[in-house]
Amino acid sequence: MKRLLTVLALAAVLAFAAAPASAKTLRLAVDADPVSLDPHVQLSGGMLQYSHLVFDPLVRWNQDMGFDPRLATSWERIDDKTMRFHLRKGVKFHSGNEFTAKDVAWTLDRLKKSIDYKGLYEVFEPAVVVDDYTVDLKTKVPYPLLINMATYLFPMDSKFYSGKDENGEPKDKIGKTSPSFANTHASGTGPFTVAEREQGVKMVFKANPNYWTDRGNIEEIDMRPIKNEATRVASILSSDVDFIMPVPPQDYDRLDAADNVDLITMPGTRVIMFQLNQERNKAFKNPKVREAIVYATNNPGIVKKILKGRGTAAAQQSPKGYQGHDANLKPRYDLKKAKALMKEAGYADGFEATMIAPNNRYVKDEQIAQAFVSMMARIGIKVNLKTMPKAQYWDQFDARAADIQMIGWHSDTEDSANFTEYLAVCPNKDTGAGQYNSGEYCNPEVDKLVALANSETDTAKRKAQLQKIEQILNAEAAFVPLHWQDLSWAGGKNLENAREIVNVMNYPYFGDLVMK
Amino acid sequence: MFAFIVRRVAQALIVMFVISIIGFGIKYSFGDPVREMVGINVSAAEREAYRDQLGLNDPILVQWVRFVKKAVHGDLGRSFFYRKPATEVILKKAPATLELVFASALLVIFLSVPIGIYAAVKPRSWLARLFMGASIVGVSIPVFLTALLLIYVFAVELHWLPSYGRGPTSLLFPGWESNFTSWKAFRHIILPSIALSSIMLPLFIRLIRAEMVEVLQTEYVKFAHAKGLNPTRVLMVHAFKNTLLPVITVGGVQLGIMIAYTILTETVFQWQGMGFMFIEAVERSDTALLVAYLVFVGVLFVIVNTVVDVIYGLVNPMVRVSGRK
Amino acid sequence: MWQKFKESYFWYSFRRDPVAVGSFIVLLILITMAVLAPVFASQNPYDGSAIDLMDAETPPMWTPDGMDAFWLGTDAQGRDIWSTILYGTRISLLIGLGAVALQSFLGIIVGLTAGYKGGRVDSFLMRVADVQLSFSSYMVAIFFGAILQAALGVARYADVAVPFLIFVIGFSEWPQYARTVRASVLAEKKKEYVEAARVIGLRPMRIMFRHILPNTLTPVLVISTVQVANAVMSEAALSFLGLGMPVNQPSLGSLIKSGFAYFMSGSWWITLFPGLVLVLLVLSINLLGDWLRDFLNPKLYKD
Repeated sequence: MKRLLTVLALAAVLAFAAAPASAKTLRLAVDADPVSLDPHVQLSGGMLQYSHLVFDPLVRWNQDMGFDPRLATSWERIDDKTMRFHLRKGVKFHSGNEFTAKDVAWTLDRLKKSIDYKGLYEVFEPAVVVDDYTVDLKTKVPYPLLINMATYLFPMDSKFYSGKDENGEPKDKIGKTSPSFANTHASGTGPFTVAEREQGVKMVFKANPNYWTDRGNIEEIDMRPIKNEATRVASILSSDVDFIMPVPPQDYDRLDAADNVDLITMPGTRVIMFQLNQERNKAFKNPKVREAIVYATNNPGIVKKILKGRGTAAAQQSPKGYQGHDANLKPRYDLKKAKALMKEAGYADGFEATMIAPNNRYVKDEQIAQAFVSMMARIGIKVNLKTMPKAQYWDQFDARAADIQMIGWHSDTEDSANFTEYLAVCPNKDTGAGQYNSGEYCNPEVDKLVALANSETDTAKRKAQLQKIEQILNAEAAFVPLHWQDLSWAGGKNLENAREIVNVMNYPYFGDLVMK
Repeated sequence: MFAFIVRRVAQALIVMFVISIIGFGIKYSFGDPVREMVGINVSAAEREAYRDQLGLNDPILVQWVRFVKKAVHGDLGRSFFYRKPATEVILKKAPATLELVFASALLVIFLSVPIGIYAAVKPRSWLARLFMGASIVGVSIPVFLTALLLIYVFAVELHWLPSYGRGPTSLLFPGWESNFTSWKAFRHIILPSIALSSIMLPLFIRLIRAEMVEVLQTEYVKFAHAKGLNPTRVLMVHAFKNTLLPVITVGGVQLGIMIAYTILTETVFQWQGMGFMFIEAVERSDTALLVAYLVFVGVLFVIVNTVVDVIYGLVNPMVRVSGRK
Repeated sequence: MWQKFKESYFWYSFRRDPVAVGSFIVLLILITMAVLAPVFASQNPYDGSAIDLMDAETPPMWTPDGMDAFWLGTDAQGRDIWSTILYGTRISLLIGLGAVALQSFLGIIVGLTAGYKGGRVDSFLMRVADVQLSFSSYMVAIFFGAILQAALGVARYADVAVPFLIFVIGFSEWPQYARTVRASVLAEKKKEYVEAARVIGLRPMRIMFRHILPNTLTPVLVISTVQVANAVMSEAALSFLGLGMPVNQPSLGSLIKSGFAYFMSGSWWITLFPGLVLVLLVLSINLLGDWLRDFLNPKLYKD
């Protein structure tokens, strides 16, 4: 069988025969290509990856969760609500236009119009242009995460996107479902320009010859979506492509063992959990039952077997490195204790519950849900599981269609409070608070702490508040924490610094890549 | 004949009408398209507003009437994902599927007819037994296992053929990317078309053989032989022609099915055709594209079935297509 | 009764055909194993407390990492493959046969009526079939799945999954039967014996079912054997879209499907063994169908 594995790798050899392997062309296989050339059309991992190729943010995250200057060279807090950014001089857009503070202000205005981003930028006032290379970002209230939000601010070429296109539509229109100028044209300051694009089939990027800084040596990126996991893996094993993302867990060992490939994994920040709906199933109102379920969930086992060890078993929402992360909270798998707790709660004979999970959203989501059902059977809880594709899942999730629902959450602000705001505060339909809290868990103290943290600019105080939240949620077993799934990439040995260009946000900085 | 065509067109319109109703009836079961278009942090109120803007909150009847009004002018709506007219998306993907079906149909026709006749004429020969045995095994292996086997043997073990995608296609004429224009591109279509024909081929061999055996028993064939006519001529003209009736019926239906449901084959080989597009549209709940696809496939079916009925009438004059009134 | 059967031509011709006898025995074994699954299985793979995730992806017994407890290995959840095959075969058989029974029933009635009555009835029924055919089982399943979900809620789905799948697959593929039967009826209708029956004043129902129907069964049988396989595969495809069997009660098809991702990565046994059983099952049905067809078509035996 060993032989089968090695040779299967070559399956895709001929498929890529057409792409000539010139030395500095990076052949990239991804699971899905960017949906548009307009960075404001959708807030998604794929679009942000694209944005880092064609645009540059004011600042960007580095591997240590710190900020590297990009189009902003330095920044300082002027007061509680204002941060001043000093911009890089002499930077040109792909169109040849000069980059100035006006473009930053223009881009922020546009972000506030984008359905996907307006929520995140709600708290921002319009930017104030001080001079051509200085801009002030202001918020309505003191906002500790202002600098985090500057990582999403990819200045766009305001001159290029002004005026009308041939259909008489304004060029800055955000065309989510309709054609627009920005959907098919792009001018940023980034290391690459878009040379060719056939949606869903291929995309070609060319190096920006006038880039403002030193960069890697990639001249061209040939990006192709390969949806099928096995085919994607086979294509890198046979060296038909130089880089793939993501890698399915079942192939980690195989890629690790391959001579021509480097497997790169990194602990991720997306937490996966089950929410126990206390309104639908009365048993979940009892904290002892919830605790019993947490104790019965062998999440280290799930990580070991289903994720092949590439994940971190969780006992809280915030991953390591976030302000709210409390290192003392450990996974609590203990079957005996779980059974005892069930008895104490008066459910020695167990009960029945319903459950839904997606089957194409998170890494091995369906497998994880199934394993959980088996684990619950051991403490007498008979779980009726239904899995479905993500397109149908979220409607059911919103309708709170089952007692137990799976959700994974990545904080768009890269901050702990975001988890709690969406997943754990008391749900309120009118304000939209706790939008994804399908467990209907509600503790006013948690709500109060989040509100405090959201306007606390003192890091130490804020840390204490956010950690307190995690401790409460943990003690009350507000949800069943599973793990933070690892991010995974694989690159050929011809890539010299593949490990350095990836990061926990999953935006590989291909502009910095060096190829042999 | 003319009256027949007119009636068929009228029927086709009714079919499309019904399909569009059903399509609208089920489109919400595919999920909410807005959900797929926006990030997860977007508030429920924002999504609702966007749905309003897209007209997705209008009563289903209003949406349907709007759809039909546009459809009359050939506009089947706009794909949410591709941001293009749905017909444009479908027509762009159609050549891939049609070429795949065409290649499979060729395989089926050129293999099943001679093998089927041979197996009927010489049922006891070892070759006929081999063919029949192989065909029954072939029909018993699910398409996805056949496809996996093909990929394993020809792409992985032998490196003879590529395993996925359409490869370097080139323009046959404007709007039609073809796999038949160069050997490099043609190699890509070989495995998928074999996989697609793997279920049909045995079915046709068996059908042709069964019908042929029956016809050979009839008096007129025996009489033709007795009259001393050329045996080959008897076989081809008298006997084979009479087996065509059921073969065409089944064939027509199967051809329609192949066009519409190359889904499985296209998925395994990641063939960028309509089936692949359909699966992706389901995953993205691109409902506008889905409804357009349903109507498009419905039209294809009616066309194929009409052609089958016409041929049916030509082969068998006893069935008058125009229907005497 | 038994004596009579033993002397019948049916038994005689069956005994004389080794392939038919062989496939009958194989089918019998498979059915017995499936029906008595709890007896032969070493665990109940549908009972969560019986399986352990820590056993996941154990290779078959004879390989270096194999375990004696799981002679064919385990799947990604730690289910014993052998036991799951037994339970899965049971479900697949049930769905396959049930669906084919339903679709042939619907298809024969529609096809007979359309072919015999002709005219408006015919073109109406055939257009209905067109519409139906252009909706694959996916869409039928999504449609009825949504209705079912609205009526029962997602919770009850596991309880009604089997009848639901029989209904969906049966309902979505009847037009194949209808068209085939209709074509045969059109050919038969013009023959003298039908005219004769009509002339002596037999009722249409009687002519249709007693005289025409038996003569159209050849193509129906050809299709039926294929359709059982198709039904099993449709079930697997539906499972993949989240519309088939609940994931913790895998059928043969969904077991194959679930192993697909692991096949390329080295865990070949999850797909291979159920795949072999599926092929064996369908092949034996097909071979028996072949024999039965030859038997029912006595014209072949004249020479």
